[in-house]
Formats: sequence, C-alpha cells, structure tokens
Amino acid sequence: MIIAARNYLVFLQRCARIAFVGDWRYYAWMGALTVISLLGLNAYAKQLVHGLIVTGMSDEVSWGVYIANFTFLVGVAAAAVMMVIPVYIYDNEELHDLVIFGELLAVAAIIMCLAFVTVDLGRPDRFWHLIPGVGQLNFPRSMLSWDVIVLNGYLLLNVHICGYLLYCRYQNRKPGKWFYIPFVFTAIIWAVSIHTVTAFLYVGLGGRPFWNASIVGPRFLASAFTAGPAIIILALQIIRHFTHYRITDKALLTLRSIVQVSMIINVFLLVCEVFKEFYSGTTHGVSARYLFVGLHGYHALVPWIWTAITFNLIAMVILVMPVSRSLRWLDVACVLSIVGIWIEKGMGLVIPGFIPTPLGAIVEYVPSLNETLVCLGIWAFGLLCYTLFLRMSVPILQGRIAQSNEGQPEIQGDEPEAPVSGASPH
Amino acid sequence: MLNRNASTNAWLAVLTVVFLGLGAFFLVSAGGRPVPRQVIPLVDPKFLSTAPWRQTYADLVRTNQDLSDYDCYGCHEKNKPPPIRYDLNHKIIIPKEHSDIVMGHGAHDRNNLCYNCHNEQNLLTLQVRDGREVGFDNIPQLCGSCHGPNLRDWEAGAHGRTSGYWDRNLGAMQRLSCANCHNPHAPRIPTREPAPGPHSLHGPVGSPPPVETTP
Amino acid sequence: MPTLTPPPDQTSDAAFSRRSFLRGCAAFGGLTALAASLAPLREMGDYTSTEQFLQKYYKELTPDDMAKVIARIEGEVQKEYGIRPHVRDLKPMDGVEFVYCLNLTRCIGCRKCVHACVAENNQSRNPEIQYIRVLKMPHGSMDVEKGDHTYDAKQVPEKGFFYMPVQCQQCHNPPCVKVCPVNATWQEKDGITVIDYDWCIGCRYCEAACPYWARRFNFTKPEIPKERLNPNMSYLGNRPRKQGVMEKCHFCIQRTRAGRYPACLEVCPVGARKFGNILDPESEVSYILREKRVFIQLKEEMGTSPRFFYYFDK
Repeated sequence: MIIAARNYLVFLQRCARIAFVGDWRYYAWMGALTVISLLGLNAYAKQLVHGLIVTGMSDEVSWGVYIANFTFLVGVAAAAVMMVIPVYIYDNEELHDLVIFGELLAVAAIIMCLAFVTVDLGRPDRFWHLIPGVGQLNFPRSMLSWDVIVLNGYLLLNVHICGYLLYCRYQNRKPGKWFYIPFVFTAIIWAVSIHTVTAFLYVGLGGRPFWNASIVGPRFLASAFTAGPAIIILALQIIRHFTHYRITDKALLTLRSIVQVSMIINVFLLVCEVFKEFYSGTTHGVSARYLFVGLHGYHALVPWIWTAITFNLIAMVILVMPVSRSLRWLDVACVLSIVGIWIEKGMGLVIPGFIPTPLGAIVEYVPSLNETLVCLGIWAFGLLCYTLFLRMSVPILQGRIAQSNEGQPEIQGDEPEAPVSGASPH
Repeated sequence: MLNRNASTNAWLAVLTVVFLGLGAFFLVSAGGRPVPRQVIPLVDPKFLSTAPWRQTYADLVRTNQDLSDYDCYGCHEKNKPPPIRYDLNHKIIIPKEHSDIVMGHGAHDRNNLCYNCHNEQNLLTLQVRDGREVGFDNIPQLCGSCHGPNLRDWEAGAHGRTSGYWDRNLGAMQRLSCANCHNPHAPRIPTREPAPGPHSLHGPVGSPPPVETTP
Repeated sequence: MPTLTPPPDQTSDAAFSRRSFLRGCAAFGGLTALAASLAPLREMGDYTSTEQFLQKYYKELTPDDMAKVIARIEGEVQKEYGIRPHVRDLKPMDGVEFVYCLNLTRCIGCRKCVHACVAENNQSRNPEIQYIRVLKMPHGSMDVEKGDHTYDAKQVPEKGFFYMPVQCQQCHNPPCVKVCPVNATWQEKDGITVIDYDWCIGCRYCEAACPYWARRFNFTKPEIPKERLNPNMSYLGNRPRKQGVMEKCHFCIQRTRAGRYPACLEVCPVGARKFGNILDPESEVSYILREKRVFIQLKEEMGTSPRFFYYFDK
C-alpha cells in the first residue's frame, strides 16, 4: 500500500517535472501563453474590484462573450466522445491510441468552461452556495444546477479515465476493464448530456423566443460535433509535428468523415431555423431579424453572422468534395468550421437572444477591452493546460517516462528526440 | 546541440525579463477606475412630491388659508343672480373679474351654464340639478350627480388618488376630493412635464423609430 | 516489452546548473508577475467580510441570527452613510395576497412613479437602477416592441399615445424563481417574489428568464447620495445592495407589509395605480377586478399569471 502510494507520488512528481522541461519552442510557447493568461488574470482582478461594469454587458444584454465562449467550449468538450465512439463501439484501430488526446482536450475545455462561468458571476465569493448540503443547489428545477452537476461530473469522469489509462501505461500494465470501460460509456452519454443541458439552459426560457425553440438542442449537438473533431484534427497534426508520436493520416480522415456529416446536419438545421423565423413573419422573429439583417438601423451582429455562415458553407463544400482528403484542404475546412461555429454559437446565439429586450428596447453589445482580455486569458490558460497535459502524456505513451526507467537520467527537453518506434499498444 | 542549448537558455532569460516587465506593468496600471462614469444629475425633488395638484375649498378651510375667492357677496348682490352672457356662437362670455376661469367642462362647449353647478340663489353653495343644495366641501355629491360611474368608483377607492394605509386595521386611507385633481371649470387633466428618462449602463437606449399615428 | 530510455544527457554539469538556474529565474519571474497581476485587488475595500462571507441563507436564519444580522447591517449602513437605519424583517401577513391594478386610461406617462420608487427603495443613482420602465405606446397596440422607452416630450401625455409602466409583475408562476441555481429568489405567501441579496451569486440567469425585463443587476457598487437614503428599510426589501447581486421591485415590502401603500402608488398624480389585498372583497383591487371589463396580464401567453393587471375604464 505504502509502495503503491510512493509509486504514484513519484509518477506525479515526474509528470510535474516534465511540465517545466522542454526546448526553446516549448518555453516560447508556454511563456507566451503564461503572459496572456496573466494579462487575463489582471483584467479579472480589475473586474472583481469594480464589478461587471468593466464589461460591455448591461441589464439589457446581461450575458456576453463569457457565456458565449462557455457555450462553444461545452460543445468542444462534448465532442471528445466523437473519438471515443468509433474506438469503443466500432473498434476503430486507427483512433485507438488517440482517444486520450480527445479526452485531455475535453478536460482542458471543461476547465475553460468553468473559468468562463466563474468570471461571469457577480459574486464569485459565494460559489459555495452552489454546493449541495452546504449551500442551496436548486436541483432539479434550475437548468443551471443541472449544468453545475454535469460539467463537474464530466470533468471528474475524464480526469479519471485519462489519469487511469496514463498511469497504467506508466506502469506498463494492462488497464483493468472494470476500472475504465464503464466510465467510458458513462462519459459518452454524459457528453451528450452536458451539451443538451447547456442547450436547455436557453431553450427553457419562455420569455426569449429566439432561444425558446426546440431546434436549439439538436443544433448545439450538430455544431459541437463539427467544431470539436475539427479542433482535434488540428491538434493531432500539431502533436505529430512536434513529437514523434505515431498518428496516421487514416485516423485524421476518420475524423474528417465525422466533421463532414455533422457540418451537413448543422447547415441543414440552420436552414430550418432561418426558414421558421423568417417565413412565418411573427413578431417572435425580431431577434433573428436583428441577427441576420439588422433591426431599426441596429446591425452590429450582421457582419459576424454572415461571416459565420459563409465560413460554414465553404467548409461544408470543401468537406463534401474529395479535395478534403488532402490534409491541407482538410485543415482549411477545419479552421473555417471552428471559426464559423464559434461565431454562430457565441455571438450568434447568446447576444441576439437579448435584442430586443422583452420590453422591446434595443441596446447593442460590444465586448469591452477588459472583457476581451479576460477571454483571451482563459483561452490561453486552457491551451496552457492542454499543452501541459500533452507534455506529460506523450512521453508516457511513448514509454519515455515509465516506472521502469525511474531513477535514470530524465528528459532534458532540448535533446534531439529520436523517433521512438516501440510505443507498443497495450 | 550546443546551438539548441544556447537558444533555450536565451529564451529562458528573455522569459524572465518579460515576466518581470509584465509584473511592473501590472503594478503601475493597478489603480484608477477603468470605466469613467456617465454624468447623471439627481432627479428634481419636485417629481417626488406626493402633494395634490390643486387645493379644494375644504383644504383651504382646514389650513386656515385666504378664503376671499369664495366671498361671492363681497362683489355680487344677494338675491340677484348674476346674468350670463353669450357671444354669437353661444360661447359664454367670461367677465373680466373672473378672467382666471377657463370654461372647458364637457365636449363642444355645451356645458356653458354656470348654474349647472353654482347655486344661483346662494352663490356660497352649489346645487345639483334636482335642486339639492351642496356645500363647497362636499363636491363629490355634485360631480357624481352627472358622473355616476366615476362617483361609484371613487367611493370604492378605484377612482382617484389614495395614500396612507391599504390595511384599514393598521391606519387610515387618505382620499382626495374631485377638485384636488380636476379643475371644475376645465376638468380634463392638463399635460405636464415628464420626469427624466432612463440612462442605460453604457449609453443610450435604442427604441423603434417614431410611429406615425392616424388621427 | 522493451522500454526505451532517452538518449543519455550530454550536457556538462556547468551547462546543467546554468539551465537549472535559468529555469528558476523564469519561474521566479512568472510567480512575480502572477502576484503583481493581482495588484488591483488591493482596492477591494468592503467587498465582503468574514461575517458576510459566512452568512446563512435567509430561510435558515433563526430569530437570534436575524437579530444579529440586522444589527450588523444597521452598523454597516451607518458607517457608510452616516445614518442609523431602521431595518426590519417583515413577514407576510396571514390572509393577504397582494395584487396591483394599473389603469392605462389614466396613466399620463409622467414617470413620477419611476423616481419615487428609486427614492423609496434606495436604488443606485449612478449607474442608474430603476424598477419601473414607462413605455410610450401608439394607440391600438399592446406590442411592447412598438414602445418608446426614452421619450422626452416637453409635455405628456402626447396625442395618439398611451403610456404603460412595466415593473415586476409578481407572477404566480415566476420563471425567475424556477431558474435560480441557489434558491436566492422565491415567492412568499403574500405573492411577493423576493431576493436574498446576501445569497445571490450574480449569475443573472433570472434576468435572462424574466419576460418582463423586471430584474436589475448591480454592475458595480451602487451609489446613493447620503441625503437621499431612505432609513426605513427591510431585509428582503430596500436595504442597500452590494455590488454583483440582483434586485427588483418587491411591492415596497417595507411599506406594504406594514399596511401602507407602495411609493409608486402614492406619488401617481392621476390615481392610475391601485394596490391591495385580493383576498379582501372590500379592497380596491377586488372591486376593480369585479367591476371592470378588460384586463390585460402582460404577455399572458407566457403562462406566468401576473398579479399585476392593466385595465382600461373607458
């Protein structure tokens, strides 16, 4: 028992060490992310002191880019399962060793989500009011209480799965099925639930007709399953470029087919939504009118949404054409879909729900500089976390860090990394 | 190898400098209010006043104020109802002694006979059309003789201003009389200046363009 | 399974220790910057105190707790405004359910109610928080999207328009209560939906949920001039709020639960506002709901069932 605990502590200590070791590119990248994160933290400190008045939000538009980014990132986190499903349900070999990168991305995305929700709170010091037993969690009536539960649960699930698989690989033993397969399947269902619950957060508000539409839930899933795997496709290529971890083109192309189908569904659902809002011509369509064409001379979001739609359409065309089997075109399509969906899910979903207000006033929303810095800081912090996770997990998966080489000279970071061929599957 | 080593070291040194510089920047920029406040003048206390617009005869009596306006027989002769003159359009001609009176009771200037309300036999009282005499301190009875539904609503507390206690067990409800709000000679409530409009947190509130209304 | 060790480290000891030193420098620089980035927090001031941080939920406060909390609040207000307030925790009365009726035929759009409310309920003057919003509506429509919020005519009412003040509708089925993740807002048995200002976490979900745009958020520390502070306060009502919490109309709890009329009603120059106990058949509101013909519950289709009725009487 004591030996097991000691071994685990050594594992943690070696993981922590490797996080601070790398070549100059690693230090430059991490340094840049740290600087941006700190700028964000500083901006948040100002917000904490002066209140949310330092953001562009108001009583009229009471949620802004914080909640917009939160919504987008919940989708990214949920989409990690799109790699798990082929592996564990369809036994796809190519993706098998890559699942963990998806799950680590989910962990990083959830950390960002929680950060975005926290910075949006007026009284973050009262977070403990949410803890059941100590506080007063309004479960199951409030959809936000559901969100608190599913997000934290999803974080724990993924931390457990990743941590367990990595530690097994570190000890070079086969993972016990009962210790992770049930969790993997729970995580698959859970992933759908986090995004559905987040959609219901909006859908449940009868006073906001723009959100109060049953199509919002399916659209959330479709867009998440487009943007999430698109991010993973890019991340895998970056990993492949900087390490010698074996990632095949075939694996990337498997993900491509997921992005392809989801994007087609996403665009189809968009068409459904636009038709309903505009053809019927009811007064409930005003928010959509504000978003797509502007209202009474106010049209701050119009260029954004048309950029998003253009990007999504171009991405869809590239994805359905055979050219997207070439990685260069696939990357273009991925970047376009990520940006397109980020706009559409963020600014395009959250902000127009508030314009006009339920009493018909139009107050536009523009994120303030301080608010933007906080957002950039959280994104940088999330990337920092993901880079750290990769920095720890890749050498473990490659066998460079293992229980068997404990005590031997550690990786220094800038030695030339010889291709490691023997990263054997368990 | 050496090259890589040196550039890693150089980057670490640069990072240290950048971090320290960033720290210094944070310390320098820490103070001050990041968002300048708009200027919003405090609202004029006249808009907070709950006082009635007008004072009735009863109010004047209660507060011992000058009642000379009600001393009709200071000028008029007793038992001699003042004559009422009309112009060619059947509009009442208001004598210059009463130039402060604007006749605007009822549509189309039809209610233009002073003795619809004033008692021609005794100018110190008012009269209902059925002949009942009513004092200046009991005007609801007079007004209600024509405006029945309004009197009914007023008696139920549904018409006119109230203040004080909704819970009669805890305190009294104060009522106002018709003439506290309505000028008996021109009872339509006059227009007035509105209190200032709202200020949004970051700037003006947008509204739809003015709607053309059909008369 | 063969394990692979990394290639042996070829750097000399001197280079190795130089590297460690530089890593240490960078880490130190990073930590310094981290600490410096929190410098704005020095101005936190009275953001919170231990008692405030640990304060219990309203419904869990015993009478003793409440007495202590009230004493603390009175002390805080006195320290900040130099006036000793009288804070009470007024409970709903038995056999009372409040209803508000607003006569749209009478309202002239003078906005006196807006400012009387601000004065009575100690709302922030800058940034401005107002519970009542008066809409100038064209004749013939109840579509709020046609309403003008910022009319600044020299004289009101203007021909061709009517005026509709909107405030918290004190719904029977309030969406704001349903969505609050921490139960910081709830409906009391006299029908008033209240907020525990010391429990709200400021997520603004209720603000998004309200179909009447009745809720307001303290985007910064509220600013109330000392000379305009109303010292007659109640716990769930008009005591000064903190930065970062929600507030809204509570039918002037500090007045109405003591039997008095709300401030917006008393200031209304035309008597358009009527308030009372719907369970008392003799009350004005009972009379109005019995005798008048047309009532509008704003956005009736939302299923919120407001206790606020608009009506016309001609």
